[in-house]
Amino acid sequence: MLINFSFLAISQEKYTISGYVKSASSGEELIGATVAVRSISVGTSANVYGFYSLTLPEGTYEVSYSFIGYQEIIKTVELTSNQQISVELKEQVNELEVVEIDADRAENNIKSVEMSVNKIDAKTIKKIPALLGEADVVKSILLLPGVSTVGEGSSGFNVRGGGIDQNLVLLDEAPVYNSSHLFGFFSVFNPDAVKNVKLIKGGIAPQYGGRLSSILDIRMKEGNKKELTGSGGVGVIFSRLALEGPIKKDKASFIIAGRRSYADVLAKPFLNSDLKDSRFYFYDLTAKVNYELNAKNRLFLSGYFGRDVFGSGFLFNWGNATATARWNHIFNDKLFMNLTAYYSDYDYAFGLEGEENPGDDFEWSSSVVSYSIKPDFSYYINNNNTLKFGGQSIYYNFKPAVAEFSSDGQSNDLSLEEKFAMENGIYIQNEQKIGSRISLLYGARWSFFNYFGVTVQEFGDTTAGIRKPLISATPNTRTVNSLNVFGARLFSHTQYATTAAYNNFEPRFSIKYDLNEFSSLKGSYNRMSQYIHLISNTVASTPVDLWLPTSNNIEPQIADQVAVGYFRNFAKNKYEASAEVFAKDFQNQIDYIDNADLFFNEELEGDLLSGIGRAYGLELFVKKNKGRLTGWVSYTLAKSERQVNGINRGEWYPTRFDRAHNLSVVGTYKYNDKWSFSSNFVFSTGTPATFPTNRYQIQGIVLPHNINESRNNYRIPSYHRLDLSATLTPRNNEGKKIKGEWVFSVYNIYSRRNPFSIFFEPNEDNPLVTQAIRYSVIGSFVPAVSYNFTF
Amino acid sequence: MKNLVYLLVLSIVFTACEDVIDVDLDQGESQLVVDAFVTSDSSIQYIRLTKSADYFLNAPTPAVIDAQVRIVGPANQVYTFVSNNNGDFTYNPVTNGPIDSIGFPYRLEITYNNIPYQATSTLNPVPPIDSITSSFEEAELGAEEGYYAQFWARDFAGREDFYWVKAYRNNLPLYPNDPSIIILSQDAAFGGNAADGFVFILPLRAAITDEEEPYIVGDTTSVEIFSINKDVFEFLEQASIQANNGGLFSTPPANIRSNIKDGAGNAQEEVLGVFSMSAVSRASKIIEP
Repeated sequence: MLINFSFLAISQEKYTISGYVKSASSGEELIGATVAVRSISVGTSANVYGFYSLTLPEGTYEVSYSFIGYQEIIKTVELTSNQQISVELKEQVNELEVVEIDADRAENNIKSVEMSVNKIDAKTIKKIPALLGEADVVKSILLLPGVSTVGEGSSGFNVRGGGIDQNLVLLDEAPVYNSSHLFGFFSVFNPDAVKNVKLIKGGIAPQYGGRLSSILDIRMKEGNKKELTGSGGVGVIFSRLALEGPIKKDKASFIIAGRRSYADVLAKPFLNSDLKDSRFYFYDLTAKVNYELNAKNRLFLSGYFGRDVFGSGFLFNWGNATATARWNHIFNDKLFMNLTAYYSDYDYAFGLEGEENPGDDFEWSSSVVSYSIKPDFSYYINNNNTLKFGGQSIYYNFKPAVAEFSSDGQSNDLSLEEKFAMENGIYIQNEQKIGSRISLLYGARWSFFNYFGVTVQEFGDTTAGIRKPLISATPNTRTVNSLNVFGARLFSHTQYATTAAYNNFEPRFSIKYDLNEFSSLKGSYNRMSQYIHLISNTVASTPVDLWLPTSNNIEPQIADQVAVGYFRNFAKNKYEASAEVFAKDFQNQIDYIDNADLFFNEELEGDLLSGIGRAYGLELFVKKNKGRLTGWVSYTLAKSERQVNGINRGEWYPTRFDRAHNLSVVGTYKYNDKWSFSSNFVFSTGTPATFPTNRYQIQGIVLPHNINESRNNYRIPSYHRLDLSATLTPRNNEGKKIKGEWVFSVYNIYSRRNPFSIFFEPNEDNPLVTQAIRYSVIGSFVPAVSYNFTF
Repeated sequence: MKNLVYLLVLSIVFTACEDVIDVDLDQGESQLVVDAFVTSDSSIQYIRLTKSADYFLNAPTPAVIDAQVRIVGPANQVYTFVSNNNGDFTYNPVTNGPIDSIGFPYRLEITYNNIPYQATSTLNPVPPIDSITSSFEEAELGAEEGYYAQFWARDFAGREDFYWVKAYRNNLPLYPNDPSIIILSQDAAFGGNAADGFVFILPLRAAITDEEEPYIVGDTTSVEIFSINKDVFEFLEQASIQANNGGLFSTPPANIRSNIKDGAGNAQEEVLGVFSMSAVSRASKIIEP
């Protein structure tokens, strides 16, 4: 029947309907909204900018526009020419029975060729009980299958056996180099400004590149195009305020959202005079404007700026800044372009303060700055083929250390050489439907990397535990480009020769096969390469860790991943479920010689080792999308290992974040219009740890020794935790200008002292007695109350 | 760097907690341990030989009494250390001659169970301590009210030097209960070679005061600077980290690199410990109001 139909279709003239799908209340684009013609089983979904394109034979159709949480619109279209149709969907009245948690089409779980992908929207993030009541993007992601962390309070997250630097964290397409406030307790993304979050763990499409293990694609809200609205909250840690509204109705809008921690402000009156000068706060500011020039051109400008500040007699601060400019251009009904340019910076600075010792000072800063331009094209060839192609060019400037100190009036420069690099990539991919059951996504990315060193260092081989000897250090050749006008130098730029060049061909492939209306099988393969690396050998990453480029001594990291999965929905998409298995192979993984020296070390690359890795896993996921009770259960069985010559006597050893079992149960129950309750429970196997076998004494100090030189030879006890929260929405909100809600939460309700690590130290009273210490980051339950409002 | 990380940890506002727990550990084979910190002083010099033991031994590790221990100096002069039958091997410079040839690479030779081991350490010069100053400071974050002392000394210019600074309050070690607090200096700063010829930089200069218990009037503060070799500097730096390596920002536990070699002068895994030759400069001061 379908085959007959497609033969018929060929003989007819075809026309394209295209346009945007938006929310009627705010004018926000609805990412992933469905556009379908049911009578002939043809459909598509809107892209990340809300744009869709659907090509049909000449005729009259009932085109349905739908999106979860919104009322469907059906438009009758008489298709005799290409047409632009943009629609605005109205939000559903929030009836008790139709509470839905995910702003996405539930069938996508089975129908889309995407696999190993989890989407989570701001609404869901805000419902999950959180530490100190602060809804948090990264902490929510930890509850998804395949995602783990080394422990509470640590920065970042680990996906399918990958290190925290193997996640490409994008905020409106600009990479964020450090996603944490206060080390790792909170992430830098303000949930009031976040529209939706997509985590891609496998089957990574060619349009993405640069990291091995995942893409965390965070999209900011555009800002309400219809009216000025706001939201905010007062919590234990942050106070928040966000404002959004039209600049020009239906054409241009803005959003600006800020947060600041205020423990220091509250504490000030109670502090002794000696603590008055201490500072301790963090803040972030997110802003965005967008402007619809005309039906074919839209501009978006967005930015993020956040810092953590900490000091007492010294000042230490760190943070990210990003700026993104994007231009959406519709060439015609079938060709859509987004051109992104971004700037992203992560830096930290440390300095002594005070006038007591004018001759003594220490100033230290470090940064990684990147600039990029990235055109992406979508060509909607026909309803069975969507071609995407584009490229990206990134210029990096690394300043590992800019430092100067002085002692008794005499000063010296401790700075390390800057490093420059260029990363380029081009890609092409096609998403193809074959018949009614099969979808394919195939393509490749070709990435190139050039490293420009100021000095070229060559290192010799090493034996286990000994740093590599520096054999030679030669200044790189350089040319100075300058622009002179009438003899005056207006501009000059020093260009260093390429010290190391690499390129990688990265094939990607995904397939989906529909078994029936409610289940499908999917498979994927992807190769990824990564050219910049976070140099960190602490358990939790610190704010002072360095990002360094691939060089003549550091090879690009490469990972190959195969995943297969079974996807099934139950009870008319009320429940969606998936089971996936993956296997992943890593090359050129960075590790460190024992007792490596990673700061102010001109010969740092001599302290690095290179190894291989592997990870396997099974991930089960069931999610309930509708009803009074919504939520999900996620279970991961996984293993992740490394093999590095010079560590663990060259044998395989588990990574520090390896956890065999990882279970999360997340539920929200809407009791009535006034009360709703949420809970999560997590259980995971303890992380590995390295324990000594022997002791010895030198100068009265008891020292540990491991005679087998093992790494991660023990496991700390398992982690489990239950959190609860209750949200009270007062009934008298109706008709009020300012609508409020109270959130009461308890984190770690049964006060488990979950171990972060077990380490060994001498007893304080008798240094001859050594003891094992269980270190728990959070040792008791943490209650919190916060008040959120919208207007 | 470690100080900075320590400050970071301090700032965590949450209820982080530490509990002593029971852990079963594999027991490894016992190894010979050499604790040889020899100075050019005229006082009796000790080299201590012991055996490594079960990590939770919680008593002094067993002594080794039957070994031959000697140091070889200029013109193959031999300084024999005699066993006291308690693990200590001693040498009296007053009766047998001082070991004080600055710049000479001394060789330690040990024979234990008929197997020879050796290590080399150069006796480096040490700068004099010009003075110790002290002043009264009010309490600050993490620092109590009291008298804070600083020592003033200048590193030798034009050469790479390594020092171990020891501080005493009333002739007792400043941190008797935490021997892992080791004050080390490369030239006049923490690490790298950027402070060549400087006055010891500020955090080092002031490291002779315990901030939790500063000096009071009448206390005697004493400072010793030991010149050491690069491998000893690294050994002590690692020892300080590994003796107490916990928390969010701990590094992977790793064995500390010994500078004791086999009889042929090659790296070996049988023996732990370190050989260090040092010259020492000293100063002390009674805290006055």
